[in-house]
Amino acid sequence: MKPQSSNFQHEQKEQTVEAQQAAQKTAATEFATVEEALRFDAARTPVPESVKIRLADSVRKEPAPQPPRPWWRRLLP
Amino acid sequence: MADVLTQAALEPELSTQVGLETVAPDFAELYEAHSRQMFYLCLRLLGDPAKAEDATHDVFLKVWRKLGQFRGESSCRTWIYRIAINHCRNLQQAWAARHIQPAADDAALQDTVADTSSPLQVLELKELGERIQQSLDQLPPEYRLLLLLVADEELSYDQIGSLTGQTAGAVRGKLHRARKAFAVEFRKTA
Repeated sequence: MKPQSSNFQHEQKEQTVEAQQAAQKTAATEFATVEEALRFDAARTPVPESVKIRLADSVRKEPAPQPPRPWWRRLLP
Repeated sequence: MADVLTQAALEPELSTQVGLETVAPDFAELYEAHSRQMFYLCLRLLGDPAKAEDATHDVFLKVWRKLGQFRGESSCRTWIYRIAINHCRNLQQAWAARHIQPAADDAALQDTVADTSSPLQVLELKELGERIQQSLDQLPPEYRLLLLLVADEELSYDQIGSLTGQTAGAVRGKLHRARKAFAVEFRKTA
């Protein structure tokens, strides 16, 4: 009786492993193209909030940019 | 934009916690519209999140300083991409002067036979970024840049050509080889 029980347990174990492997296979994400993979990656890569905070601080400290020169001034030496 | 400039200039005593929306509302909109793509480009070109953060900050500060020079001849996104690409190139050149890194062998990559028709498979999505970075790092810089630009659906082949100094036809040809080379490198990372 004991060997039969052992065989049964072994079969059960194999089935579990196969089921796990099958589940892993279905869980695999597929990207048809390189661009698709890059787009997916870019979409889930957020810009750290610290960049915006630093930028606000930097912009605040900047002198007011000069307004663009009129076009006719660009023609003058 | 004039109102924005005056506001920033007239309020130098604002606390450091004041958001970009308050300091320069129009510029904040511009940042929101393009910062994700620029950060991703910097991240994948430089390969380091901290350096990418610094680079994104510096790129947008340059954009702020040059806003008056933007003549609308290209799209705003193309213009910002140009600033970002030049900024990253300058950084890489400065690093290369100090640490010479072996460049990927372009010829070897071109000769590699790869089945690009089969999809790229990823079992663990959390590893995707790392695998993409490893693969891009093995490509010649030109291929790396082309792939990153073509991934932005807002850019046409003509715009990518303009950004990389070549025709749209040349972009198409090189992209074909770049995709192949990437697929080879990506599968190696599995």
